[in-house]
Amino acid sequence: MMEAHRAPHRGVRVVIWSASIYFLVESFFSFSCVFRCPWLAVTICPAVPPCCAVLFLFVLANFTMATFMDAGVLPMASEDEDKDDEFRAPLYKNVDVKGVQVRMKWCASCHFYRPPRCSHCSVCDHCVEDFDHHCPWVNNCIGRRNYRYFFLFLLSLTFHMIGVFTFGLIYVLHHMDELWKLHCTVTLVVISISGLFLIPVLGLTGFHFYLVSRGRTTNEQVTGKFQGGVNPFTRGCCNNLEYLVCSPISPKYTVRPCKKTVIHIQPPFLRPETDKQTPVKARDNGIQSRDLQNKVCMSTVELSDIKQQKTPLPLPPKPDHGLLKSQVAHPVITTHTTAAVFSWHIYCTMTKFLLALRPCCCLFFYCVAQLLKTSEQQGNNKGPDLRSESRGSPVRGSHQAGLPVQPLLQASAVSSSLQLNSLPLNSRSLTLKHSSRHGSKSHLPAMHADGLGSNPPPGIISSSGLLANHSSSSSSSLPYDNLINPSDPQFISQRGAPSVSYHPHFMSLGTNGTVQRPPPHTYSPVFMGVSRHSPHLRDLVPQELTPPKSAAARYDNFSKTIMASLHERRELEDRERMLRLQARSQALYGPDMGIYDIPSRRSLPPDNIRPPGSRGPTPPAYGSREFLMSTGILGYGMRTSPLSSSSTSSLTRGPKTSSSPLQSGSSSSLQSKGRSSSPAYCPPERQTQGLPSSTSTLPRLFPSNASSAPPYTSYATTKRSSLLYSSEGKDSVTLGALK
Amino acid sequence: MRHSASLANKVFIQRDYSEGTTCKFQTKFPSELESRIERTLFEDTVKTLNNYYAEAEKIGGQSYLEGCLACATAYLIFLCMETRYEKVLKKIAKYIQEQNEKIYAPRGLLITDPIERGMRVIEISIYEDRGSSGSSSGSSSVSGSTAR
Repeated sequence: MMEAHRAPHRGVRVVIWSASIYFLVESFFSFSCVFRCPWLAVTICPAVPPCCAVLFLFVLANFTMATFMDAGVLPMASEDEDKDDEFRAPLYKNVDVKGVQVRMKWCASCHFYRPPRCSHCSVCDHCVEDFDHHCPWVNNCIGRRNYRYFFLFLLSLTFHMIGVFTFGLIYVLHHMDELWKLHCTVTLVVISISGLFLIPVLGLTGFHFYLVSRGRTTNEQVTGKFQGGVNPFTRGCCNNLEYLVCSPISPKYTVRPCKKTVIHIQPPFLRPETDKQTPVKARDNGIQSRDLQNKVCMSTVELSDIKQQKTPLPLPPKPDHGLLKSQVAHPVITTHTTAAVFSWHIYCTMTKFLLALRPCCCLFFYCVAQLLKTSEQQGNNKGPDLRSESRGSPVRGSHQAGLPVQPLLQASAVSSSLQLNSLPLNSRSLTLKHSSRHGSKSHLPAMHADGLGSNPPPGIISSSGLLANHSSSSSSSLPYDNLINPSDPQFISQRGAPSVSYHPHFMSLGTNGTVQRPPPHTYSPVFMGVSRHSPHLRDLVPQELTPPKSAAARYDNFSKTIMASLHERRELEDRERMLRLQARSQALYGPDMGIYDIPSRRSLPPDNIRPPGSRGPTPPAYGSREFLMSTGILGYGMRTSPLSSSSTSSLTRGPKTSSSPLQSGSSSSLQSKGRSSSPAYCPPERQTQGLPSSTSTLPRLFPSNASSAPPYTSYATTKRSSLLYSSEGKDSVTLGALK
Repeated sequence: MRHSASLANKVFIQRDYSEGTTCKFQTKFPSELESRIERTLFEDTVKTLNNYYAEAEKIGGQSYLEGCLACATAYLIFLCMETRYEKVLKKIAKYIQEQNEKIYAPRGLLITDPIERGMRVIEISIYEDRGSSGSSSGSSSVSGSTAR
């Protein structure tokens, strides 16, 4: 429909353009080649014809360039660029150009804020950079790229017409007696046409000379943009002329021949923090992980401390979360950290661990802690190590001995918000750390591989067999991985050997209590069997430790009540964890499964990445429709409200046909602030699609100008807005959004 | 198991018009990239691009000569010779390509040449790790393209 509407106008334009070409050619031929050149060469100067020819060639060349050269058309913005709701985005955006506030208007057709000096040509229906005007004589927009050629065309045409007129007049004056002969008649016609058109062309040339000297475009001149104010785009008269003639030709933006080069983006991705963590990781004694997550290190250290505690601690006050985070940067816990912080870590991690795995594991931990206490009392520095590694952690000395299970369980009850996935991570990291400390890393890769790779339930059976058979703790970790895996595939990535090593015992104890989660049921038979193997506990722990039987007995006494409370917590967290993990999927980074994908920015949905000041989400933009409706301020009177501190953003863009799923992460804020300007200059094309009520109350000073009106008509309509703009331009407050 | 990346977000670095209509981009570090790339790297990239564009738009002897030559040949020279600006654009494209390969792609980011957006914005695409995909349904790599 648009095309049909524009067809007659296009036809008229083509006619005008053709006429101008014809006139040019005709004047050349009729003047120089047929009649006057020989006479002029003889009478005045032999150089006249060549100069005229060159001049005419120059005119034609500039005319061609002005006609066919891209004026600096800005391609339409992709959908991704504009992700704001139409109703919330302001119509104008202020920007500071050399200290002068310039208003950038939203172009509804091209979907971007028009750069300064850019304007939308209604004839050609595109935005043009440094838009001057649309010239019907060349049937093209005049803009940044072709203004020079247009200006030179005007200049050369003026000289050409002056030449034609002058030499024609001289010829006629010398042939007055032959006035009615053909050659004189033609010359008379030519000089009369030349003289007739010379006046407007001369006027136009002079006008553009003036514009160039002032550094303005025709659009700016006609709309009176810088009438009363300072033009920030001028460089001075001489520099403007220099810029006009000597500036490099800017490139074409549309239809560029581009050489597509393929860049592969393959996870895992580097992160800025990970670079700092690299040296720390190296101290993990060979436990390499590609994913250098900070929390892994933190949890590693925390769990190591649990093992080292010698005396039970009361529940310490929860340390500052920031403090916890600070530990991330220093994963190797030394004596520098406070005991209270570590205690809290221990509680948190233990709770997560327990809730994630089995309710019984806390009880087991208690047993282990007791064992550790007794073992340390005996002078054996073996902690609750199910791997038969001797513990020589330097950290031990700085922390208290093993915490009792009961406080841990209490902590677990209150720490339901803790993330479950870090718990198995912690337990795994604990194993890794301890094994690294003790230098026995051989089994770790195996643990890794099994932990990650083995999924099938049959692994349980085989592992249970292994459980029953193994006698050395060094290999005990291997089957435990298989036990863990089938229960929850998602846990594969999160749990490791160390947690697995606890598993059978927890499960065995847990069967006495309540086993709720479906996955654990898969364990049940296995652990039922395992539970009976109390001597296994002896196998799993170093020989120096006291037999676990006594610990298990003690555990039975308070297991049931604890299990009940834990059960509730665990169910909630299980659900939470499942959702999270499913959404995230297994973000594994290779076989080195010492590191797990703790919820980080990366794994969060894009919404979380949204900056607070983005155009998308939360607070309604000043001046936006939402804001207006929320504050109840409607109508023009809003100027006096806080809204008036925002610019013309009282006007909104209007509805958009397409919506983009992506957020605009642009650093520029569309919350433009500044003096609210005039106003009712509504967006042209989409007005009829239902303006927001806020703008509808604003007076419309002039109608939309979407149709293909003559260019100067459009100047008139914009002139009023520009006048208003110029009056307020001085008062505008700098947004600073773009700075 | 192969990891795949998916486009999560796009950041648009806007033009800095404080010095007029010369091509210059803001060096303000967007918040979306805070956890993805170091600030210094980003700022270096944008500053280098700004320098390239300043070099392309510089009014000097070369641009003057180019204009005169073009006039003298009735602009027929444009048919066989590329302008200085175009030459710098090629350098810019090469630089962006190199930055993408060395710095941005390993961090899951991709810079789009501003010329493709009409020199209005630098578009930085942010990719997220979609985790491992055993099947071939997900693309295991994302292809970026740079102009020229």
